[in-house]
Amino acid sequence: MSTVDETDLSEDEQAGLELIQAVGDIHQSDFWKELEVDSRKGSRILESLEEKGYIEREETVYDGHNTYLIEPIYDPRDLDFSLLMAGDMLSPFIGDEEINTNSDQFSQYIMTLAYEEY
Amino acid sequence: MAFEDLLEDPVIQKYLHELVGPTGMPVAAAPPDGEVTDEELAEELGMELNDVRRALFILYENDLASYRRLRDEDSGWLTYLWTFEYENIPERLEEEMHRLLEALEEREDYERDNEFYLCEQDSIRFEFGEAMEFGFQCPNCGAELTSMSNERLVDAMERRIAELREELHLSAPEEAEA
Repeated sequence: MSTVDETDLSEDEQAGLELIQAVGDIHQSDFWKELEVDSRKGSRILESLEEKGYIEREETVYDGHNTYLIEPIYDPRDLDFSLLMAGDMLSPFIGDEEINTNSDQFSQYIMTLAYEEY
Repeated sequence: MAFEDLLEDPVIQKYLHELVGPTGMPVAAAPPDGEVTDEELAEELGMELNDVRRALFILYENDLASYRRLRDEDSGWLTYLWTFEYENIPERLEEEMHRLLEALEEREDYERDNEFYLCEQDSIRFEFGEAMEFGFQCPNCGAELTSMSNERLVDAMERRIAELREELHLSAPEEAEA
């Protein structure tokens, strides 16, 4: 999991985002308790994170009260694309509409993974 | 040139190469800022116009380029003005990571569910049923087929599956304390 080092975030916002990314999703009513801030501050942190595009919120009913379910938004630019590679080979499915998991090309790819990569 | 930071990534270079092939690579590797016509690119890169167009249309099919058409009032000729949209590359590669993951999971099931026999002479692998049909003899060279462990393949697939799942944030989220 990537660590949070976004420069446009305050310390509280960073801590909040780290919490959300660590758990995957969390209800707003749990979020501020977990972060040990009051509900108003928790709400402000989430509003800011949402505005900056780091999280999304969806209205929901939880434990009998209205709250939000918070989920992190990940930037695909942060992904490690080298996981598409086996040795010098790129995933054999690129540019193909169909995925044939028994093709010779894919077998070769897996052999390369097994005997060169790991 | 635009998108220099993206193009520094060797995986992205490989990806573009896979899409457009070696002939189209000069087009794909040097996207200009702003709009450009196919003729301008052909002249600048010293390439055949057809090869430039072929590369541009492949990029277009993969959401990596777009065009608008202008009609010359006098001659009636159409001009294509192309824009490279490489900002879509990370999303496309994210999709490819999901597709690779799916394929690895499917193949892992197959590898686990089957027993395999190998002709060491020809390096051909047979499923148990096939090997039995051939009387455990290679239909190609007649050599005896020997039982083959695929443990190492399964381990490698398992490892890459776990890495992909983690990178794509697909690992089962821990329950938040209520």
